[in-house]
Formats: sequence, structure tokens, C-alpha cells
Amino acid sequence: MAELEKPLIRIAAPLFARISPRLRARLGIVLVTTAALLFPLVNQNDADIDSAANALAFAALALGLNIVVGFAGLLDLGYAAFFAIGAYAYGVASSWQLQPQWSGFWEPFQWLDFVTRFHTAGADVVHFQVSFWLMLPVAAAIAAFFGVLFGAPTLRLKGDYLAIVTLGFGEIVPIVARNTPSVTNGAMGLNGVAAPQLFGYNFGVDATPYYYVGVALVAFLILISQRLKDSRIGRAWMAIREDEIAAAAMGVDRVRFKLLAFAIGAAFAGATGTFYVAKLQTATPEMFMFPVSVMVLVMIVFGGIGSVWGVVVGALVLQILQSWFLEDLSQWLHALGRLVNIDWLQRVELASSIELIFGLILVLMMLYRREGLIPASRPVPALTVNEQTAQAVRGGFSGLPDLGAVDHDAQGPLLDITDLTVRFGGLVALRSVELSVPAHAVVAVIGPNGSGKSTLFNAVTGFLPAHRGNIRFVGEEIGRLPPHAVLERGIARTFQNIRLFPNLTVAENVMIGMHARLDIGPLGALLRLPKTRREEAASRERALEILSLFGNRLLPRVDHLAASLSYANRRRTEIARALASQPKLLLLDEPTAGMNPAETLELADQIKSLNRFGLTILLIEHKLDVVVSLADKVVVLDHGEKIAEGTPDAVRRDEAVIGAYLGRSAAFARV
Amino acid sequence: MSDYGVLLQQVVNGLSLGAMYALLALGFTLVYGILELINFAHFNVFMVSSFVGMWALEFLGISGQSHVLTGLALAGTLAFAFAVTMIAAGVLGVAIERLSLRPLRGVRGTAAMITTIGVSYILFNVILLTVGAGSENYPNPLPVVRWQLGEVTLELKELLIWGVAVALMVALHFFVSRTRLGKAMRATAQDAEAARMMGVDVDRVIVTAFFLGSALAGAAALIFGLYYNYTSFIIGYTAGLRAFTAAVLGGIGSIPGAMVGGLLIGLIETLGGQLIAVRWTDVIIFSILVLVLVFVPTGLLGRSAPTKS
Repeated sequence: MAELEKPLIRIAAPLFARISPRLRARLGIVLVTTAALLFPLVNQNDADIDSAANALAFAALALGLNIVVGFAGLLDLGYAAFFAIGAYAYGVASSWQLQPQWSGFWEPFQWLDFVTRFHTAGADVVHFQVSFWLMLPVAAAIAAFFGVLFGAPTLRLKGDYLAIVTLGFGEIVPIVARNTPSVTNGAMGLNGVAAPQLFGYNFGVDATPYYYVGVALVAFLILISQRLKDSRIGRAWMAIREDEIAAAAMGVDRVRFKLLAFAIGAAFAGATGTFYVAKLQTATPEMFMFPVSVMVLVMIVFGGIGSVWGVVVGALVLQILQSWFLEDLSQWLHALGRLVNIDWLQRVELASSIELIFGLILVLMMLYRREGLIPASRPVPALTVNEQTAQAVRGGFSGLPDLGAVDHDAQGPLLDITDLTVRFGGLVALRSVELSVPAHAVVAVIGPNGSGKSTLFNAVTGFLPAHRGNIRFVGEEIGRLPPHAVLERGIARTFQNIRLFPNLTVAENVMIGMHARLDIGPLGALLRLPKTRREEAASRERALEILSLFGNRLLPRVDHLAASLSYANRRRTEIARALASQPKLLLLDEPTAGMNPAETLELADQIKSLNRFGLTILLIEHKLDVVVSLADKVVVLDHGEKIAEGTPDAVRRDEAVIGAYLGRSAAFARV
Repeated sequence: MSDYGVLLQQVVNGLSLGAMYALLALGFTLVYGILELINFAHFNVFMVSSFVGMWALEFLGISGQSHVLTGLALAGTLAFAFAVTMIAAGVLGVAIERLSLRPLRGVRGTAAMITTIGVSYILFNVILLTVGAGSENYPNPLPVVRWQLGEVTLELKELLIWGVAVALMVALHFFVSRTRLGKAMRATAQDAEAARMMGVDVDRVIVTAFFLGSALAGAAALIFGLYYNYTSFIIGYTAGLRAFTAAVLGGIGSIPGAMVGGLLIGLIETLGGQLIAVRWTDVIIFSILVLVLVFVPTGLLGRSAPTKS
């Protein structure tokens, strides 16, 4: 047997390798789809088909939670609440639970076939019978509405708080369902929910039609997830997950995108709730309690947080394990226990320990395999020695691609700061600072540590509120704008301690820089019209173009994770990311920190060339030779106050500056 | 009893519950203050400790509520039960930190929080599978002594709860403000990196926070048992959520905040139950959590809003 297999593999493996990855992925999808479609024909056991249909419902839930937890990095512990909302929405709209008095009000609804008029003994009532197919999107919309309603208050806070609020939300939704029996029939549950109908065929209680609806639902949600993931929307979510501050600095409206993730995740659960309740034809509060939320979380942790196929596999494996194999496994353990004469092994009931197993899976996966069964990102082959060697190149960039809007020649400075005061409690970090940056200039801000340089950058880019004063950019007041709006106006920045998105590739990092300049919304990403494809291709091309500015330092590494880059390459990537946003004004916070002299000179030349091509630059720098070679104007801060301003040479001779840097006595010693 | 008397009585009850929530909230706040981690395992450390307390009392031969002690025997029994429960809870907390959280130190994102959920779930199910799903009659050696003060009835067990809670909080305050380790703890909460550079053993501080927080949860768990005369595998969830709300209400990371928040949540629970309906209590407390997070994210006594990332 083994001899037979070996040559087979030897022949098959190279053949398999010759298939392009794209074709391989397509073949995989075709195979999976075929298997899914044929399953009920091969295995005609109704109970098996039924548990497969349930597993599909949980795969759909896992896909939804994956958008919230996996893509956007927000922990939602009450996800079952949205499942419940979708379930009750369909349950109420298609059962006998609500029977209001008939009146003229209901006539248009009767005409739409949402309700029928029903006469019982002495009563003339309305019977709701909204179609299952209509309720799928409607329940999704209702759940999304609640997602926004409950997400909005907390999404401005740190992500952890969402976990606790959703935990509470997941707790109260079943309580409300139990406490409002007039609508939900309380703890006894809704009964007689109508089965779906398609072209006059009633689904009834046979599992097979539900199974196919489940397959279609999961396939549709996989498609949505994949398309969102590989789009501007997905990149914005992952940017928030990786580093919220940097995401905001690169133009991502955090609250909006978190809400979007939360709403889409809730919508998946809402639609699934409708499917699930139509299948069971009943809904009780117990079906949507905390253990359900945890189970879905376990599924995505097991399959791979953020990995679309991973979470589907995770959900199917765990669900099918529960319904098909747990009994058998327990029997085997009992047999093993009898064999080795261990008493407790003979009494293990895995079915009742399933939640314990879930807890163990959560902890063990987090400790030993955080990326899950099928990781979201694939390892990239290491670079060859040749690819790794890069020569320091002097002379700056040549052949810059169009850097975008640097055509400000209106009257007045590009950036004009007047009377800016920033306080932290009692500490005045900036006191009445005046600063103007003329268009096309390079202005350097220097000063001892703690003099307020980075505070100045944070105030300009909207990360710190100004206590007093004005910040005008191209004549517009931007002092009150949030960070993403500042970027949209044309100010991009880098950070003193580098804030890249570590688990995204270099190319993705740069493409997130373009966030504000692209305009594909969720719908565009879903439909993937030619316009979207063009924009996506163009933005990838542009990212490569910008990365190629740094010669072969970044180009061989475009598909590497940013976390794997060297320090200097991270600085370069951060600058490339800022350039991708087509800024008018570039704020560089100690761009050469931590670089060796050769790298420093190389970067200084590059910054100079950016300026030559029309970009206005405001930079914080400690290396005075860099400042002297780059800056048209130097501003000196000390203890939050501007103590000098002028050409590099003039500032170098300024008594106050020498005093600030070397101490008062040194200043006197020179006199 | 007049309406006024009923409300006053509910205030007394609320203070007792509040003392328990405050002790439980301190555990959330101590850990959050240092690690910025919501420790979901804390919910069920509380639940497991209530069983430890029960076993400790049963070990001394006490069962049910008929086995009443007085005088020194009572004091000794209670001291033993509290000591055993608090030490066991503290050790459990430290074990959780060492085994499941320390390997994740420095891992960004939701990994540590997901781990604490997993640990919580494990504790929950271990008790469910070993002890069972029923609720246990809690051994209680306290004699039923009541004092009538106007329209309000005061019970011995309430005085005991207040006494224990106040003593523990004073001790915690003394520890944090006066001792070397306490000072290191406050420094770490302010800035772990700077504290490390100043020679503070941050890992030791974290272990201390877990030990103290869990030990206080142990005390709260014993109080729960003595107050309600029962325990069950399910008590961690509701009590934990309320105590967490208390910590947020007081200002998460703030020790006095957790105490004030605990008392307020206790009062809200009893008065809300009296004035509205007990079955809506959880909804009321959840609404408070959301409202606090929306309008006063710093809480009543917190210093900085939980917006940094």
C-alpha cells in the first residue's frame, strides 16, 4: 500500500505545484461547494442533515462575529443577543403571537400579503405572515439597528469596555424576552412560527431544504466577508485593530468604522436568527443565553481569528463534533477506562463537559496557537541575501510620482498657529505658541526633551485638544477637528515611536495611508464593480510606486508583515504610508532617530527631495546637522514656549537657545 | 411598616450587598489599574471561593443554619473560614495569572481577555460537573440576633458583613499607601515601564494584585454565603457583572472608587427592586453601566477616561 502511494505523491505533488494559487483556490471552492451540495444526496439520514444545517447556522454566526472580533478587533461577548433579535423578529412576524384587532390600518399590509384577516369566535383579528425571504434582510437590518444603538455609546471608549457592555447586553436581551410575554410569550417561547415557502413549496419539518438555505446563507456571508476584507473597508478595520491612534492619523474615522463592523456583524446574526427560528419553528429565551455567545467565540478562536475560511471550519468542526462524535468519543473513553481499569474514565460524559472543553480550547489556543487552525495571514518566504543587501543611496529620490495636492500658492502661510496653549491638568505643555509654516518650506522644531514638540504635533493633528488658540491650515481653522478629518485636509504625520500596523503587510500599511483618498464604501466593496477593481488595482500599484522611492529597501518586503521590518525600514514605511495620503503638509517626528550616520544622510537627502518636489515639511529633529542641512526656518521650544525662531545659523547663535540646551552657565561662559 | 420604613430597611440591605460588591469590585480595579485587563476569571474565582468557604465551615463540623455558635467559638470559626477562603482564593488568582496570563504578557489585542473568559468558563464548568447544578445549603454558625431600631431591623450578620468589609478595606488602604510593595503597586499602575526602570519587580506587583484582588473576592464570597444561606455554580455571573459595574461607576482603577461604586450598586439593587421590580434589576444596573460609560467614562472618582489605547 505504502509503495503504491509514494510514487503517486511523487507524481501528484509537482503537478499540484504547477497549478497557480489562484486556480488552486478556485478548484478548492468548486470542490467544497460540490461536496456541500451533494451531502444530503449521499447521506440521507435526516438527523445528520439536520445537525449539518445547525452547524451551518453557527458557521454564519461565526462569520458575523469574525467581522467584529477578527477584522475590527472589538471583543463582543453578547453576540447571541443579535441572534435573538433576528430570531424574535421573524418569530413574531410569522406566528400567532400578536393578534391585534382588525382595522382599516392593516389593509395595505394585507394587500402586500404581510398579514391576513382572521375571524375567530367573536373576534376579528390580524394574523402576521411576513415571508421568510423578506424577513432575512429585514431581520438583518433590525439587528444592525440595535448594533448601532448599543455600539454607539461605547465604541468611543477603549475596546475592553465594549466587551463588558456587550456581556451585559447579551444578558438583558433574554431577560427582556422573558419579561415581555405579550410579545414573546415569555419563558415558554414562541410557538407555531411559520416554515418558509418557496414557489408554493412548504419547507415543513424536513431538514434538507433548510440545509440548502444554510449552505446558500453561509456561501453568501463568506463572499461578503472576503470582499470586505480585501477592500478599503477591511483594511480600515484591521488598521483600527492593529493601532487605533495610527488608524486615526491615517484618516480612518474610528467611530464610524467600528460602528460599521458592529452593525454588519449584528446583521449576520440577525439573518441567521431568522433562519434558525424558521428551522426550529420556535424561539425561547434559553436559546440565546451567554453560552451561545461564548460558543461562537470559541469557534472563531479555534478556526483562526480574522480568517474567513478558518472560522467556518472552526464552527463546522466544533458543531459537528458535538452532534456526531461526542457520544462515540465518550464510549471510546469508557472502553479505554475499562481496559486500563480507571474508574473515572468509565464515567466521563463528554456531552455534558462540552462547555469545559470550550473553556480549555479558548485558553489553550490563546496560549499555544493564537492564529487558530487556519491562520488569516500566510508566512512569506525569507529574503535571499541578495535581496537583503541594500546600499545607502545619496542624493534623494529621483523620479517622484505625482505626490498630489502640493499646489498651494494662496496668500499667507500654509499652516498658521497662533496663541496655542495646551494643558495637562496643572501642567502647561505649550504656552501661547506662534508658528507659521510657509508653503513649500521646511520648518524644523527643535528643543530639549519635554519642551512640547510632540505635544505641538499632537495638537495640530487633532489628538490633543487645544486649551486656547487657533490652528489654521490653508486658511481653515482645524483646531477642533478629529485626527481623521485633519488628515483629509492634507496633513499627514509620522510618530516619534513609530506606529505601523504590525500584523499587516508593508503594502497594506501603505494602502491604509490612501484611505482618505479612495472612496469605495461597503456597498462598492460588496459588489466589486469594475470601478472598485480599478481603484483597488491602482492603489496597489501606487503603493508599490511609493515604496520604490526607497530603492530596494522596501520593495522586496512588500508582502512581509510590518512587525518583521528593521527599525530603519519601519521609519521608511511610516513615511511611505504618510506620503500615500497625498499630503500638502508632512509632519515628521524625529524621522532619523535610531538610524546610523549613513542611513541618516540618506533619509535627509530624501526628505530634501520631497521638499524639492513641492511638499511642505514640518519636522522635529534632534540631530542638528540634519536640521541645518534641511530647514529653511528653525523654531526652538523650551518648557512649552517658543524661545527663538529664524534661519538655522541665526538660531545657532541665539543666547536663549544655547542657554536652553547647555544650561545658563554655558551661555554666560560664552559671553 | 410604613413605606418610609420599607425603604429604610432596603437601604440597610443595600449597604450589606454593597459591601460585598465593593470587595468584589476591588479585584477588578486592582488588576485593571495595573494590567488594563478586564479579568473575567474574577467572576468565577468568586464563585469557586464560596464553595471553599462552605467546605471550610463544614470541615469544622458546621452544617445548615441550625448549628449556632457564640462567643469565642464563633469568632474563631469565622476567622478560620475567612482565612482559609481568602488564602485559597488568593492562591487561585495567582495560579491563574502565572499559568494563563503571564505567557501572554506583551501580546497586544484581545488575547488576554479571551483567555480570562476561557479560565472563567473552566472554573464554572469544573464546579458544575463536580458539585452539580443544584444550589447548596450554606453552613452558617451565626445566631439570629435582631435589633429593632425604629422601623428598621438590624441583624447580627449585617453588622458582621460591614465590620469585615470595613476592616479589609482599611487594611488594603494601609497596604497600598504605607508599605513598600503598595507604593510599587501604585507606581506600576501609573506607568509600568517607568516603575520597571526604577527597579520595581513588576511581575511581583502583578502577582500581588491578583492575590489581593482574589482574596477580597474570597471574603465577598463567604459574605455571600452567610448572607443568602446558599451558594451555587451560577452566582459568579450576576454578582461579577454588578461588581464590575460598581468598579466602572466608581472609576475603574480607583480603589476608593470601587468602594463607593459597590455601595451605590448595592443600594440601587435593593431600592430599584423595591421601587420598580426585582425582575428588572439587571436591566436597571446594565443601563447604569451604559449611562456611566457614555456620560462620565471616568466614573465618580476616576482620574482619566478609559480612551487610551
